[in-house]
Amino acid sequence: MSQSPEPVRSEPVGLAPAILETPNRARILARLRSRPTARGAAIALVILIAAALFAPFLAPHDPYDLAALSIFDNRLAPGTQSMDGPVYWLGTDSQGRDMLSAILYGLRISLVVGLSATAAAATIGTLMGLLAAYVGGAVETAIMRLVDFILGFPTILVALILLSATGRGVDKVILAIVIVQWAQYARIMRGTVLVEARKEYVEAARNFAIPGWRIMLVHLLPNALAPILVVATVQVASAIMLESTLSFLGVGVPITEPSLGLLIASGFEYLLSGEYWISFFPGLALVVLVFSINLVGDRLRESIDPRRR
Amino acid sequence: MTPFMRRSGLFGALAFTLLAGTASAEELTIALSSEPTAVDPHYHDLSSNNALTMHVFDALLTTDAQQKVQPNLATAWTNEGPTTWRFELRDDVVFSDGTPFTAEDVIFSYCRVLNNETAVSGSFDEAIKNMASIEAPDDHTLVFETNEPDPLLPIRLAQIAIISDEIAEHGEISFDPQSDCGVTGAWPTVNDFNDGTVAIGTGPYAIESYVKGSGIDLVRNERYFGEAPEWERVSFKPVPNAGPRLAGLLSGDYDVIENPAARDLSRIESSDDYEYVITPSSRVIYLQLDMRDDSPFVEAPDGSNPFQDVRVRRAMSMAIDREAIVERIMDDAAAPANQFLPAGMFGTIADAPALEYDPDRARELLAEAGYPDGFSVTFHATNDRYINDAQVAQAVAQFLTRIGIDTELDAMTRSIFFSRRSGREFSLSMGGWGSDTGEASSFLRQWVPTTDDVAGLGGSNYGGWSDPEFDVVLREAIATMDDAEREALLQQAGARVLEQMPYIPLHYESTIWAFRSDLDYQGRADQYTLATAITSDE
Repeated sequence: MSQSPEPVRSEPVGLAPAILETPNRARILARLRSRPTARGAAIALVILIAAALFAPFLAPHDPYDLAALSIFDNRLAPGTQSMDGPVYWLGTDSQGRDMLSAILYGLRISLVVGLSATAAAATIGTLMGLLAAYVGGAVETAIMRLVDFILGFPTILVALILLSATGRGVDKVILAIVIVQWAQYARIMRGTVLVEARKEYVEAARNFAIPGWRIMLVHLLPNALAPILVVATVQVASAIMLESTLSFLGVGVPITEPSLGLLIASGFEYLLSGEYWISFFPGLALVVLVFSINLVGDRLRESIDPRRR
Repeated sequence: MTPFMRRSGLFGALAFTLLAGTASAEELTIALSSEPTAVDPHYHDLSSNNALTMHVFDALLTTDAQQKVQPNLATAWTNEGPTTWRFELRDDVVFSDGTPFTAEDVIFSYCRVLNNETAVSGSFDEAIKNMASIEAPDDHTLVFETNEPDPLLPIRLAQIAIISDEIAEHGEISFDPQSDCGVTGAWPTVNDFNDGTVAIGTGPYAIESYVKGSGIDLVRNERYFGEAPEWERVSFKPVPNAGPRLAGLLSGDYDVIENPAARDLSRIESSDDYEYVITPSSRVIYLQLDMRDDSPFVEAPDGSNPFQDVRVRRAMSMAIDREAIVERIMDDAAAPANQFLPAGMFGTIADAPALEYDPDRARELLAEAGYPDGFSVTFHATNDRYINDAQVAQAVAQFLTRIGIDTELDAMTRSIFFSRRSGREFSLSMGGWGSDTGEASSFLRQWVPTTDDVAGLGGSNYGGWSDPEFDVVLREAIATMDDAEREALLQQAGARVLEQMPYIPLHYESTIWAFRSDLDYQGRADQYTLATAITSDE
């Protein structure tokens, strides 16, 4: 990070030091573009997000409208024509849902859960980490012991217990993921802030008697945000995986509004009967989604991390 | 872990090393679709538990594959008046620990059913609660005096396992529940049975090890009084998913599996190495409707509970295409239900008409009842208890939604479902009931009557259905000793339920067993998998 902390020092103390400003961002994007794998992943990601966003317009059927489903159309092979015309390009599941439509809607749930859980967990974790590092003392001890406690358990176990207690539902899955994931951000944030807080600009701000909350939010936060953003990208993928796992295990989203994980689970028992498509296509969609998010996240990390340049 | 389990675990490991590679013909491995929840035979009246405990424990009587009563520890029984029964016991029986079996063990066992704090409530206690006295004129004779006449006492006693009275400290044993029947020490708990310390029975097998979630190993009881079973060791493996169960059979890990998916039968058929048997069962799958004014998951626009209107209940029944469920989801390994026990069994209606599928008429009925735009309901079901339960429930949700009842399905694991259901938390739920007496009264007395704990009626009437006309007929039926009269009364009671529809029958499950082709198993109507009845062809 060649530009830091020099440009910061040169700026007036009251203004937010801008570490992620233009020259750097242009370079990050340029680096992303320069790698064909990352470029491919980014394109795949954009396509998947667009598909999920426009699912109601793209999907031939509404898989959540129970009145439109017919169990007489169940377990049809890919490419079968339905009784009233449209072709089931990816086949149907045991309830007669069009798999293509179910996957598009399932992607929506997976992305909504992944993005909103990550956003909430990152926000909470960041603020808690910031608070712990800046205030120190008993507050720090309390927060960090809680973090240790949460990280000490396997993620899936904590989420399973929470969902068994609250029942299923998209909102509850998001809540469970936030509870298990915020701790990671808090730990990273605290580490970064402890380093930043020793720097001169913070000392300067203190000397100007700027209130603590302002130093935390306006001075420290933007400067310590870079690692959080990188982790968050990768965490979106792991939140999606966690949601899929929970749904696969039967404690996630409701069975009548399947996410990708639940679609895989419901097709799982038909695999041995040769009806591969019920699990296979949602599985493929999940793999492509998670893989492309991870690839983009990795490249992002390489671009930002000075040691990896 | 208790010393017993450590020891048996070590022994198991040793046995495994010795036997590895020489898969003995005397060993049998069975994959179960539903895991027993305990080794304690008095813990919970569940098919999966009863099937397991029948290997280890005997009752006075037993039931055969068609659920008919047969002698077991008792050789003869006579009815000496409406409320008096006399049972003659075998005198050549010893428990697996070598102690002889006497009438005292029977009295002790029945007292324990009443003093079983760890049991799931209401399990097995119906017949015992009805006992006014139990006398033992000698060590191998018992005389039962009941409060109310109970024509089904023999088959009820066939469900209650006899345990050894040596497992609790006691003085003189007598049937006197007020003074603990003479037991001075602590009554054994479900955990005492599960860890093996008191799992002592007279049955053909003894428990070698029981590890929840991973399996149960049985070893032949050399002291068994009956014909020695063919298999020296039997191991039960819980495998809840049908796919892996079949894969395990095909790969040789299991010799017998319960309930392979019906759609996979052609695969078994095409191989010379495996065969299967399909047996109709007495288990009915049905919907239970909540009748309370204020029901948690259903509400009409005007705030009332639409299920209170019989037209709504009939409309719901008409909305469901039972043939489609049987054909498309059960792959024909089930039969559409038109009452609560398959026709032909005792007390069923011989010529009950099929429950018709008529969605147009269903919509009309809803409109007549004042719900032209329908209403919303959340429907609760299990996803791991009955065959294809989650798929069946989704199909029911589809059918109801199509006539305008906007149905949201919440399918959950059985332990959560059962505890929430008994907490009366549901408005519409899907359950299953196998008649353990093989008679129509089993469902009718457990689910339909106004709840009466003292008489042991309506114990599962969570929806609060109450129909005085039905109650009168049923109470008379279950106290009638004459078979022909009782059958007519049960038919009358059953017809009344179908008219009022507080419960909507869906289908009868058929049970499938698949096994190596050098084995043979006659399926059972009670869905039990008994290693003692599995034979090799030669």
